[in-house]
Amino acid sequence: MSSSINISALSIGYPNKTVIDNINIEAKTNQLIAVIGRNGKGKSTLLKTLSGLIPPIAGAFSINGVDILKISEKERAKMLSIVSTTQAAISNIKVRDFIAFGRFPYTNWLGINKEQDNAEVNKAISLCNVESLINNNYDELSDGEKQKVNIARAIAQNTPIIILDEPTAHLDLINKIEILKLLKDLVVNQQKTIIISTHQIEYALQICNELWLVNNGIKTFTPTDLINSTELKDIFEGDSIAFDKDSLSFKLI
Amino acid sequence: MTKLFSNKTTYLSLFLIIGIILFFCLDLFLGSVKIPFNQVVSILLGQTAEKESWSIIVLDSRLPKAIAAILCGSALSVAGLKMQTLFRNPLAGPYILGISSGAGLGVAIFIMGLGFLGISTSSFSFSSHTGIIVASIIGSFAVLLILLAIINRLKDIMTVLIVGIMLGSVITAIIGIIQYFSVDSQLKSFIMWTMGDLSSITNSQLMLLTPIVLVGLAGSFFISKNLNAYLLGEEYAKSLGVNLKHSRLAIIGLTAILTGSITAYCGPISFVGIVIPHLARLLSNSSDHRILIPLSILLGINVLLIADIISQLPGLDQTLPINSITSLIGIPFIIWIIFKNKKISSLN
Repeated sequence: MSSSINISALSIGYPNKTVIDNINIEAKTNQLIAVIGRNGKGKSTLLKTLSGLIPPIAGAFSINGVDILKISEKERAKMLSIVSTTQAAISNIKVRDFIAFGRFPYTNWLGINKEQDNAEVNKAISLCNVESLINNNYDELSDGEKQKVNIARAIAQNTPIIILDEPTAHLDLINKIEILKLLKDLVVNQQKTIIISTHQIEYALQICNELWLVNNGIKTFTPTDLINSTELKDIFEGDSIAFDKDSLSFKLI
Repeated sequence: MTKLFSNKTTYLSLFLIIGIILFFCLDLFLGSVKIPFNQVVSILLGQTAEKESWSIIVLDSRLPKAIAAILCGSALSVAGLKMQTLFRNPLAGPYILGISSGAGLGVAIFIMGLGFLGISTSSFSFSSHTGIIVASIIGSFAVLLILLAIINRLKDIMTVLIVGIMLGSVITAIIGIIQYFSVDSQLKSFIMWTMGDLSSITNSQLMLLTPIVLVGLAGSFFISKNLNAYLLGEEYAKSLGVNLKHSRLAIIGLTAILTGSITAYCGPISFVGIVIPHLARLLSNSSDHRILIPLSILLGINVLLIADIISQLPGLDQTLPINSITSLIGIPFIIWIIFKNKKISSLN
């Protein structure tokens, strides 16, 4: 079995509006992949399609040879977990129980956690460093803490691939960096494949293995290739902003 | 590891079960005819009573009414809980999707509409009670079918909610027109039906209603794991392996069975379905349906038995409408709980 991600002839969008046509991407697993691009170009549509939340218009998305858009929700839940931008507005739940939701695809009809489930939950809690929060109520957490707990829930789901839609939105600088480092650690130490969408191009260039640039189609780059190409300049530069290759950041002009 | 039921929840459940036994006995003992307690007990044990009329009152009137209260309280509370979870809306209840309006339309056409056709309902008043039940079942079932057809076409659950509410409004408007053109006596019969009534149910009807409600309750508990996933929102539920289409149909179908059957036999009983789930969340401090469903059943039964006892307190020759009682005793109670707890958990 080849250890790879394979997107072939994928068209995404809605019944009467195709957003991006004929996407073809080959990538290795065990990478941190950032999907970048301007607002409204289709980043979220792409991630939602890959997550199985909206059906593709055509095409396939295979992980290690399995087309995960064709399998049932139940099977997909064991291969792919998500952290979406919509917050779970849930009160009355302890953080530990929230993380235990990740075990949902593995428990019986009554949702009883067995020893192994508890072990997975404990592992997710320690990987994400949220031990101090587990007895708090979920709705009392800060945005940064909520994001970590959400990632822990996805880890507890124990899937080879995790898709996160803008995991660093609404977070302060320290939290942004912490979340990105956490994701990188999961890739390096837990052999996860993580796909995120982000507007933090500066950080993505430093921390990700691969970048998928969405702009009327999708092109894939390694960080170095992207820095040396003219794409960033073409897409993101305007009258008042320019990309500085040396500092890997956008400067006001 | 974490137990499913905390100690607090266990004690609470025991307390509520004792409450049910107590209120059930009180409900059988109290009524406009005074029957000694030992006589009630011996009648229930199958022995002959001092007066034969007592036996008839207990077995054919008070017992079915108490059982109806139990079925009604448990079914409507669980139905309301599921609707609040599905629509993520604290104001949702068993009737939110217009099921009671559908039942109401059926009954309105039966009681008042037949007059238009020149058929006088008084000519077959003997069977009119059965007629109301059949009309109500047909009405709520028709609404359910329309709803399920809509759900199959709509992706967004909030659209389902809005369409359901609009459907209810249209039906209410039609009922309004029928009421406007009907004669006083028919209008009164219809208004009486809308006030709810536990007392007209017979033993043979209970034979049918009881298994329906039990199946509905068991089915609801069976899908409690999926209901829990809905707490995270539909996207997360789907990502955790829930088939949204199937589970929506299951949730709404079970609610319609519970609500439709109860409404057919007892009329639209208000308030219980909206408030009991909140009470269950407040008291258990949990949002887990594996706890909330049993707790809502126990709370719902207690509240309806109490309401039934109050509606027929000794000294009153007539029974008061059950709807007025549930609101009059229930609302002050829930306000007291809100003030005591400072907040009501807004959702789920």
